Amino acid sequence: MALSVEVIKAGLETSVQDFPGRYGFWEQGFPPSGPFDMWSFRLANVLVGNGPEAAGLECQFMGPTLRFSEDCVVAFTGAEMNPTLDGEAFPMWESVAVTAGQVLACGFARVGARAYLAISGGIDVPTVLGARATFHMAGVGGMEGHALKDGQSLNVGAGAGAGAGVPGRRVKQDCRPAITDNKEWQIEVVQGPNDDWIADDGIERFLTSEWKLQARSNRTGYRLEGPDWIFADKASAKGPEHGEHPSNILDHGYPVGSINLCGQTPIILVNDAPSAGGFINPFTVPSAAFWKLAQSKPNDIYRFRRVSVDEAQELRRSIDRLCAVESIA
Amino acid sequence: MKFDTPKFMPGGDHFILVQFGDDASIDLNFMALGLTAAIKAEEVTGVVDTNPSYNSLVVEYESDDISYADLQTELAHLIDGLGSVENLELDSRLAYLPVVYLDPWTRDCVADYSEKIAPREYDPDFVADVNGFEDAKQLARIHSGTEHWVVAVCSTPGLPLMRALDPRCAITSPKYNPPRTWTTLGAIGVGGLSSSIYTTPGPGGYNLIGRTPVPLWDPRQRHPVFKDRVVLLDAADRVKFVPISEEEFEYTEARVADGSYEFNITAYQRFSVGAYKKWVSSLNQDGQF
Repeated sequence: MALSVEVIKAGLETSVQDFPGRYGFWEQGFPPSGPFDMWSFRLANVLVGNGPEAAGLECQFMGPTLRFSEDCVVAFTGAEMNPTLDGEAFPMWESVAVTAGQVLACGFARVGARAYLAISGGIDVPTVLGARATFHMAGVGGMEGHALKDGQSLNVGAGAGAGAGVPGRRVKQDCRPAITDNKEWQIEVVQGPNDDWIADDGIERFLTSEWKLQARSNRTGYRLEGPDWIFADKASAKGPEHGEHPSNILDHGYPVGSINLCGQTPIILVNDAPSAGGFINPFTVPSAAFWKLAQSKPNDIYRFRRVSVDEAQELRRSIDRLCAVESIA
Repeated sequence: MKFDTPKFMPGGDHFILVQFGDDASIDLNFMALGLTAAIKAEEVTGVVDTNPSYNSLVVEYESDDISYADLQTELAHLIDGLGSVENLELDSRLAYLPVVYLDPWTRDCVADYSEKIAPREYDPDFVADVNGFEDAKQLARIHSGTEHWVVAVCSTPGLPLMRALDPRCAITSPKYNPPRTWTTLGAIGVGGLSSSIYTTPGPGGYNLIGRTPVPLWDPRQRHPVFKDRVVLLDAADRVKFVPISEEEFEYTEARVADGSYEFNITAYQRFSVGAYKKWVSSLNQDGQF
């Protein structure tokens, strides 16, 4: 009988995601979606022997309770949610053999915010626009377009990596993202594209201030609280087509990761963000820092460190190199 | 103002913003769409996605396949190859979309906002007043009197950002502040220089002037028009709004629901920027419908 996973409790917001998400449809208004912490997600697939394209689960803040219909191999990475298998502690960052009928349960995220569950074979939901990733705002992809619901049943693919699951594989400690509970994060940023709308002392203030992550943050955007922004003259001396507020600009495309300034509130646009709009983006968080965003919690403090495009690309490559079998002990 | 040479700006580690100028001149959008078409035709190495808008284009790239510097060089080369804006010819379909202007559904949406967030005048009256029109009926006449150019499809799936091609039908209006928390699905809104159609029932800031019963996207691709695509419109398409009655709205809505609705989209023309500009310069721009 084919393996399926029964969703006993869905958790706070557990969604099917795949790497790298949905590409090629940005100009039709579709964001990439995909796993927020792609480092942890990819290592979970590596652990259970899946190909990088296999779909898994992203579990936000409080993970799900799942029952497996057949023997399989699963792995949990990312945030620490005190997972248990039939009541016994379930090890993180390790491939584990699960037998038919066993129940995997999670609690609230103790360290970090998002955990990733991979099952050998990958979760089998229909591909929509080239991806299985969930974009729940539009009801696209994943399990019927949305986060999991209690009582649903997930099919597991017999495709890539099926049967390749070997238990007892662990991710080496120094190959994992350093997810801690110290509540302070240093986040890389690349200056631009609209940094010329901010005065020099405004740039300096952004880079030297503490920014608190607000509770109204999700996979669309991360709202930050901090000091006021100082705009360049250009932000006020502009044509009426740009709008009234200094942070307004004639509609333009939003890079994923851009720090979108709405009035005085910066919002980091992340995986499910709108593709365009009428506010400036003075800085952009590069992909190598997304795992830190994904693993932080409301009221955590960010400090931003400016890096060049080249440095940001090298950081991304160094993470990519770790998302491979060489990281497995 | 059009820049002498386009500006290139980085967006993190895998985006580049190409800006052709810093205002809303339609030529800048034509250039952005011309470059988008050239990138696709040339299949530029490393380009993953494109995202054009009013005067700019964001390109997403894979930095293992092309460096930021090489991509910038490649894009500059393609822009040179476009020549002057008058030479551009773009693929452009014309979609006829039925719309009830001054409709009861968006009236309810405005009333709900007035009750819950801040009192405001009925949007079409407000927009007519701001633009110096006789009344909301003239607003509807003017809005349906032009082809609307799809500047971009962005923000939410299938949402067209449009501007009037006939300068005699240009409408400008401020946006809601604070924005609405929900919007009627299919509502036609105007804000800034743009018209748009709400493709999700989410928040919004445009003034609502009408509603269409026709879906602009369908991820389940049920209707034949969505057989090979998920969204109805692309950037550089044109939209002509066809005024209908509430009775026709319900008839059309039912035909959409049972799958028998025939979408009216023509695809036998290309859009010549040179011919368009020549036509615009021949108009008496003070005339109004």
